[in-house]
Amino acid sequence: MEKIREVADLFDNILREKNFPKYTYTLVSSEKQEINVENGEFKLMRTVFGKYTSIKVFKDNKMGSASGNDFSKEALIKLAEAGESAAESSPEDPCHDIAPDQGKEIFKQGIYEPDMDKFIERIQECLDTIKKEYPKVLVMSAVGSYDKSNWISRNTNGTEFEDFSGQYQFYIQISASEDGVNTGINGAGVEVDNLDKPFIELGEFRKTLEDVSNSIHTKSLDGKFDGTVILTPCAVQQFLGMLIGHYMSDGVIIDGTSQWLDKVGEQVASDKLTVSKKPFDDRIVCGERGTQDGYRAEDVTLIENGVLKTHSLSLYAANKTGRNVVKNTGWDLVVEPGDKSIAEMIKSVDKGLIMGSYSGGEPGTNGEFSGVAKNSFLIENGEIKYAVSETMVNGNLGEIVKNIRAISKEQVCDGYVVVPYIAVDGVVISGK
Amino acid sequence: MLTDIFEKEKALFEDGAQTVLRAHENRNRVVSILKGNIVANSRSETRGISARVGKDGLFGFASIAEYSNEAAGKVIKAATDNVKLLSRHSGNTGIVLPPSYGTGLIPTNRDIADAEQKRIIDACRKIDDHIAQKYPDLESRTVHYSEDSQDRIIYSSDAYDGHLVTPRCYIYVFMSMKTKDGTPVELFKALGGYGCFEDNFSDVEQYYPDIEKLYKRVKDKTEGIYAEAGYKTVVLGGMMGGMLAHEAVGHTVEADLVMGGSVAGPNLGKRVASDLVNLVDFAHTYNGELAPLPVYLDDEGIKAEDAVLIKDGILTGYMNSRETAERYNMKPTGNARGWDFSDEPLIRMRNTCILPGKNTVEELIESVEDGYYLIDSGNGQADLTGEFMFGVTCGYEIKNGKLGRALLDTTVSGIAFDMLKTVDMVSNEVEWSSSGFCGKKQRMAVGMGGPHMRCKIMIGGR
Repeated sequence: MEKIREVADLFDNILREKNFPKYTYTLVSSEKQEINVENGEFKLMRTVFGKYTSIKVFKDNKMGSASGNDFSKEALIKLAEAGESAAESSPEDPCHDIAPDQGKEIFKQGIYEPDMDKFIERIQECLDTIKKEYPKVLVMSAVGSYDKSNWISRNTNGTEFEDFSGQYQFYIQISASEDGVNTGINGAGVEVDNLDKPFIELGEFRKTLEDVSNSIHTKSLDGKFDGTVILTPCAVQQFLGMLIGHYMSDGVIIDGTSQWLDKVGEQVASDKLTVSKKPFDDRIVCGERGTQDGYRAEDVTLIENGVLKTHSLSLYAANKTGRNVVKNTGWDLVVEPGDKSIAEMIKSVDKGLIMGSYSGGEPGTNGEFSGVAKNSFLIENGEIKYAVSETMVNGNLGEIVKNIRAISKEQVCDGYVVVPYIAVDGVVISGK
Repeated sequence: MLTDIFEKEKALFEDGAQTVLRAHENRNRVVSILKGNIVANSRSETRGISARVGKDGLFGFASIAEYSNEAAGKVIKAATDNVKLLSRHSGNTGIVLPPSYGTGLIPTNRDIADAEQKRIIDACRKIDDHIAQKYPDLESRTVHYSEDSQDRIIYSSDAYDGHLVTPRCYIYVFMSMKTKDGTPVELFKALGGYGCFEDNFSDVEQYYPDIEKLYKRVKDKTEGIYAEAGYKTVVLGGMMGGMLAHEAVGHTVEADLVMGGSVAGPNLGKRVASDLVNLVDFAHTYNGELAPLPVYLDDEGIKAEDAVLIKDGILTGYMNSRETAERYNMKPTGNARGWDFSDEPLIRMRNTCILPGKNTVEELIESVEDGYYLIDSGNGQADLTGEFMFGVTCGYEIKNGKLGRALLDTTVSGIAFDMLKTVDMVSNEVEWSSSGFCGKKQRMAVGMGGPHMRCKIMIGGR
């Protein structure tokens, strides 16, 4: 990997000569070592030596940005000029800005020297366990990747962040078959900074393998009904992602189309729901440390006991709308647990679904969603009956977070997020 | 344009290994104007070189973000070392591939030209000003320019060498309007296509009729109704036909997914659709003209040809890499592609299209007593079983052969090989789209097209 601090010093000299009044830049040097498995067998090993350069230039209240992947002096000069040219082409807008001086800090996270032999052994061990304990399952593809990166970010307000991080990631895409009948695709993955435990014991691996083994023979539902849907952690992430995007983020607050435009401080969801982005949570591996606006990242709670604490706004959107900036531009989702076990939640449902994931149209700002319940099971009279196919779910994002019936005590921690199961009422479930 | 400097590195290719060296550049330009505010204004170029080395059924791949002869030597060595490392951990002997796929040179297909950022911003602002002045009752509007052009040079040990340039750029126009009860509804339209900025946007006024049509549709949508959930007769518009070709069928006939258990495996040679349905993944030419995103060779050095997937309702083939073609005793047709210089080639669609039939669009609509006309889609997904869904962003009800009220956003779903058997009318023209990305480990620019089709489908609603 390149000596990134030397590249940064070279870039500083270039920018000083150009006399730019205000700028921020980031340089990244990275390395990936990736093992690809196809149909249960090792197939491809991939190494990527990566670089990334980006700059935002501010001139006379105009902003432009440029990026590339070349650390040579000539390329850095070109990058600076491309940023300058983009800025000069832009109309004035004083809301574009960078964070005030955050000081100088070096972040170190994860593991910087991988044990690739051990990593490959852990992958093989996982494949062997699946073959032995889940004989109906085919690992269509599996990818194990060790990624390390070193980045540095500096700006004219004085901030300098440098980050060293390294982590292992492993995910599987699986299907199952029996008597010539196949399931659809399901999958699970984790991000870890050590190889102490077998992958199969982490995250949702075993649950996903069990689910896909039990999903070979599906039935479609007849008719439609208003029911309860227990969202698995995968589905919870999907729905909260859509909720944050369509109710709380830059675009919908700037243009005023958010349904929660003036709801900060108000109850917008069930008091059972607390949603945060917590890059410093111990269960999150290599969380965000410096935001895209140049702030030192912070844990932030978006919804607390159902009350909207803040929108999730960048510095530009905050300046544009006179609201608060959120010093967090990552994901690192943490949803607080509830007081019911998953078994109790299932037992309390008269008729509904436990939904593995949502495959549907992206809702508009009105929050209406409509899609297919994938990797899902029918619940009747408190029992899981069978896997369903050709089953659709319809509802409204803003409404279902008000209609939370229960949240599980159990949380899934996969290194990226910490999320429980959430049961919601008022979803229209329809079959063929 | 990339310069061709790596020919002599072919001397570094190891005997007995199948090696492809790829020089590759991606270029992006983005301008985004939200309600008159420029919220994105960026330019980006990423360039590098990669090598893939295949031996005894295993592959090594390496890439580096440099463009030099020294870097080429490094990636060839690293990819070769990766195969050796993998072979120490694998008992897989793999499929023995043919010694050669025919050799030759595919010449550069076109030039690539850059536009200054100011020129792009001015064009976007002109469209934004036009919309702001002409349609003041809009709640919000976004004009978003996106260019993602690719330039690659391929050097192979046992197949074709060549230079492929694929520029594409679009201006997406988003409009939002409030219904009587204050709920926002949205629609968007992608303008532009294959080619550089000036090819598509030297005269932005040519798009004003499309913008007018978009405005009328979003206005209709403010009076929109929820679809009635259930199994309905519908007329799918051409854009929906393209989505069907790509999502519902295309993915199931990618041979790597066939190996993973897709429904296409046991159905090869069998009826999977009504005899009105023909599906082809076009390489570079459709009906004597350039396909939306032409591909002349792939990243395994295979000369691109059309892949005929469904003929008169019978499943006739898959899309293949070199390796899957050998497994299924088919001919590779140039589908193995990588998006970024650091991406290994995977089986990807190119210009996947259901072929036109004989009816007019009007005949299709007039033939429906009670159903829906589904015009445009925002996204779609499909599964190995052929179970698919598309989000429907624009549609109308059909009552007694006439278009009625607009629909609010909904979703349609079905099992592809069941649903295709219900196709009983196909229109005589094709609509193409090429602005989309397909996601499959990496993203990929793809073209998709289709005619209008009458069929039965599950529709979601209240």
